[in-house]
Amino acid sequence: MSEKRKYKKRYCKYCEAKVDFMDYKDVANIRFSLSERYKIMPRRLTGNCKRHQDMISTVIKRARAAALVPYTVTRKQVVTAPFENLK
Amino acid sequence: MRKYENLVIVKPTLTAEEIQASINAIEEVITSNGGEIAARDTMGMRKLAYPIEKNERGYYHVVYYSVAPAAIAEIERRFRINEDLLRFVTIKYDTNREVAAWNGLVEKANKAPEAPKAEEAPAEEAEATTEAAAE
Repeated sequence: MSEKRKYKKRYCKYCEAKVDFMDYKDVANIRFSLSERYKIMPRRLTGNCKRHQDMISTVIKRARAAALVPYTVTRKQVVTAPFENLK
Repeated sequence: MRKYENLVIVKPTLTAEEIQASINAIEEVITSNGGEIAARDTMGMRKLAYPIEKNERGYYHVVYYSVAPAAIAEIERRFRINEDLLRFVTIKYDTNREVAAWNGLVEKANKAPEAPKAEEAPAEEAEATTEAAAE
């Protein structure tokens, strides 16, 4: 339920901020569309519009290739330091 | 001429001079293939999100440049041969919107080393707007 409530008000955060281009090196902005385990969050939960979801997905994939964001997080890594890389 | 961006991760096991030398070599590869470097952005030593070749850290360096599209294959081939590099990412800026973003990034990268104080103010504004959006 808490998951649902978190995303109750559905609107595109990126449309609101009038984002035209996303930089894959800017990890703090990508973070919003990633789950705890660094999976790409679905549109139905974040409320992103199609256009921005397409943008964010390419940006996340680039950031993964550049080792800025992990591909997967195992149980061990989740316990130790999931967000250390962002600081 | 098309706008490109290259992010390279240099091995952390090298000394500071060796890292600088390999970055100079990387930029030499770009310029020798007819590229014009517009800006560089040194992100410095960072923790990698996942180990690459058993390295936990890496030295990040970003180069913004414009070059003829045909030269990219050769540049990437040279990068692949280079054993100092853990990883490289080449990004193409093609559409008008992307080129505008590229210009913005170049401006930002050029401004950063000269006036760090001027850089802070817009960053704070950006944070404020994102916070407002979140609310």
